[in-house]
Amino acid sequence: MSSAILETGGTTAAMRRDFWRGVWRVMRRKPSRLAGAVILLGFAFMGVFGPMFHPEPLPRDPDEIYAPMSAEHWFGTDGQGRDVLAQVVTGSRYVLLSALVTAVITVVLGTAIGLFSGFKRGRWDTVLMRLTDMKLTIPGLPLLLVLSTVWSFGSAVEMGLVLGLLGWGTVARAVRAQTLSLRERGFIEAVRGLGLPTTHIVGRELLPSMAPYIAMSMLITVTGAVYAQVGLFFLGVLPYEADNWGVMLNLSVFGGGALTTTAALPYMLAPLLAILLLTLGIVLVVDAMDEIFNPRLREE
Amino acid sequence: MTVIARRLAGHLARGIAMVLVVATISFFIIRNIPGDPIAARYQKLVEQGMSPEAAERATAVMYGFLPSGTLWEQYVDYMGGLFRFDLGVSVTNPGTPVTTVLGEAAKWTVLPVLTGTLLSFLLGVTMGVYAAIKRSGVLGDLLAISGSLLHGVPQYVLALLMGAIFTTLIPVLPPGGTADILFEPGFNAGYIGSLIEHATLPVVTYALAGYGGWILAMKSSVVTVLGDDFILAAELRGMKRSIIFRYIMRNAILPLFTILAISLGLLFGGAIFIEKIFNYPGLGFLLIESVTNRDYALMGGAFLIITVAIVVANILADLFYTVIDPRVRSGAEAAA
Amino acid sequence: MPATPSAIPGGKTASGERTAPGVRIGGLTVVYRTPAGELPAVSGVDLDLPPGTITGVVGESGSGKSTLALSLLNAVQPPGRISAGSVEIDGLGDVVALRGEDLRRARGRHVGYVFQAAQNSLNPLKTVGRQLLDLGRSHGVGDLRALVREAGDLLGRMGLDGARVLDSYQHELSGGMRQRVGIMFALVLNAHLVVLDEPTTALDMITQATILRIIREVHEERGLTTLVITHDLGVVAEVADRLAVMYGGRLVEQGPTRQVLGDPRHPYTRGLIQAIPRLVGDIGEARALPGRPPTLATIPARGCVFRERCPLRMDVCESEHPPAVAHGARLVSCHAVEAVTAGARKEQA
Repeated sequence: MSSAILETGGTTAAMRRDFWRGVWRVMRRKPSRLAGAVILLGFAFMGVFGPMFHPEPLPRDPDEIYAPMSAEHWFGTDGQGRDVLAQVVTGSRYVLLSALVTAVITVVLGTAIGLFSGFKRGRWDTVLMRLTDMKLTIPGLPLLLVLSTVWSFGSAVEMGLVLGLLGWGTVARAVRAQTLSLRERGFIEAVRGLGLPTTHIVGRELLPSMAPYIAMSMLITVTGAVYAQVGLFFLGVLPYEADNWGVMLNLSVFGGGALTTTAALPYMLAPLLAILLLTLGIVLVVDAMDEIFNPRLREE
Repeated sequence: MTVIARRLAGHLARGIAMVLVVATISFFIIRNIPGDPIAARYQKLVEQGMSPEAAERATAVMYGFLPSGTLWEQYVDYMGGLFRFDLGVSVTNPGTPVTTVLGEAAKWTVLPVLTGTLLSFLLGVTMGVYAAIKRSGVLGDLLAISGSLLHGVPQYVLALLMGAIFTTLIPVLPPGGTADILFEPGFNAGYIGSLIEHATLPVVTYALAGYGGWILAMKSSVVTVLGDDFILAAELRGMKRSIIFRYIMRNAILPLFTILAISLGLLFGGAIFIEKIFNYPGLGFLLIESVTNRDYALMGGAFLIITVAIVVANILADLFYTVIDPRVRSGAEAAA
Repeated sequence: MPATPSAIPGGKTASGERTAPGVRIGGLTVVYRTPAGELPAVSGVDLDLPPGTITGVVGESGSGKSTLALSLLNAVQPPGRISAGSVEIDGLGDVVALRGEDLRRARGRHVGYVFQAAQNSLNPLKTVGRQLLDLGRSHGVGDLRALVREAGDLLGRMGLDGARVLDSYQHELSGGMRQRVGIMFALVLNAHLVVLDEPTTALDMITQATILRIIREVHEERGLTTLVITHDLGVVAEVADRLAVMYGGRLVEQGPTRQVLGDPRHPYTRGLIQAIPRLVGDIGEARALPGRPPTLATIPARGCVFRERCPLRMDVCESEHPPAVAHGARLVSCHAVEAVTAGARKEQA
């Protein structure tokens, strides 16, 4: 994450040094934050390489249906006798990939619209922000449910695309607010006074000063996207082709009766734990980033 | 008073625009359903021996517009129906108008949502005050952390964990439904007791899901007000602590009332997961069922009513704010 | 002799019930807790407010003048605390030793505090009148009607429509009106010691003049002891009988206003006066002080606090804090001034 910020930031060597010093200080003061980075790396590894370690499809064992937790099956097995942990690993790719796509689209669209709106001001701004307001007020989950009747969410990229297209509102608002406040401080006028072109103002001055915020909202969008798509699959309104965490939840609760019998409970808890662990990792990293970039917190 | 009227007019205009947008989305979805069930339905009715006109009318009743019209005619037809509160007929409940089905479901959403939200509001606000006052102590830290955790976790994770604990591991509460079928519905102790028993998990989960947000919001609001000059000024004038406390509370809670009103509207749609998990037949449950069963008229209706609830809640929140905050009342905001 | 709680804040004639108290601040030190340890914002301040006078404290922002003002009510806000010294107020005793209810009752009833005009010192959700009633109830005033009448009279004397102002919310009042409401709140319980923190900052020139006139009039009519805190020498010149100049948490010079302004001794006071541009004369004559005032973290722990910016700096300034030495009615803390006087004395001898 950090290198991405530095590249988009186009920062000078001095800023880079400050940044790493900040990282070092934050890590040293609260080592728990390092755990966040480790967790995120672990999930990334799981999503990229995890499925390679397991056969496709996963082996079924008719003698081991809803087997309890054991050394062999850490989280037991499902209704077809497949290992639950293996499903969490193989299912992670869909979940993480679509969340990543969502985050990228959300941040790119949101930043572009927010920058444009705050930069141009006037009529464009009014129209765009009215649109954003309306989008923010339309209830998201019901809209997704309704859309699921006409839209196919077959692949992770498609899912990410839909969530991203629906989710840029908050980022756009915040980026616009920041652009306006930089404007108010005479930032843009000053640079323009030096005779520099708009692309320079946006690319070299505005974006770098917002990069930390954008990076953080990207991570937060990842959690939101994971919640949303796991939730959609859990509700069982989407046709599912492959296993993923949401499908696991759905099958465990509505197929295995995890809310009435203990047999399917590990099957339900495994994906829940995965979600919670991912959330924890992201929260820790965002917290650390906040402290590195936010000078007010740093002073304390 | 003109300030209120102007604000209200603006809100109404925006609200109506929102409803139109949502209805338009519903219309296009219904119109473009894969497999075109509207035409299929019409065909089927004709095959069953209905006259083409009667079949057309019967189909129109179901979907809200004539299957043979142009796109524009159908749109006008559909929208016209909306303004007569005619949302078509549900397929899964043959012959029942969508409005009736929605009304029945709303009954099961409104009361639990209201109870759960008010519960979480009261609890969260009280704890938020503590968290703000004790913010440098262990108790304050614990309260803030519990708030962040509950606020960050998605509702279905919370609901599933609650279910796992109270229906699977320690089966003290019923896993779903509204009441035991053993009891005759009506005003008798057994039925009401069963109602309460079944509503406990959904209500407590609503409350827990909301609590985190309230505690965080109240904490930050109180901390902001504590730093305000007028609190120090009141102290320097020798005001009684109880009076200063009232000053703090009134100023801190004011912005939260707006969020409360808005969140009441949001929970109509936000109750989807909880209603599905605890098999509770409210509006959210209805929406999922209609999506799964491809009952488009019902789906459109449920989506619409959820949106209308949000619009209404937003308007009420603003009106309420206007009444309780003198700054808005006298139009100072508009002038500034 | 604490006033009985039943004492009704009277009308114009009642001001004779209590007389203007004298105030003696001795060795007052206020420290703030910071990551770098406890740092002094006010150190060893000695200042007397003679009964019935207006004293002005002048200093740049960060000089500790507001902290000094809050100390008079023992109201230094955490992370600050009064670590040493006393504030003796006639009829009240040492305020620094007051705690709990005694302290609360002293505030408002004995010592009135007026906030900076631009600050929002009123509850935005209540009318002025309702807050006045809250104040009355807090101090056990029996006759609330009389209190409201008194407040109306006070506001009327300051040129406002009392009934209307009492019925207004803060946002309905202008800066100048708010300031007069603040003064009313400070006086309505018949306090005879009044502290005004930056009473005219952020007001326009005309309103500034009005507020200063009101301060002087009310001071005389009601027989008050008044402390005015400001960064503006003009304000002090306008209203104050006595003047104290504060720098880096210490009083560097104090004495009768005319003497201090007419013949400043301390190099900082001189710098301040020279920095004022005159309407008549060359703008080039106004010279800003070089350097910047110290912050909490940069105040030198040893020696003279002003030495970094001082044109008369000597070796001794590095190591020893200059003691306050009397020059007639005036107290000056400066090694250089003492060296010159000592030299002059030697020549005379």
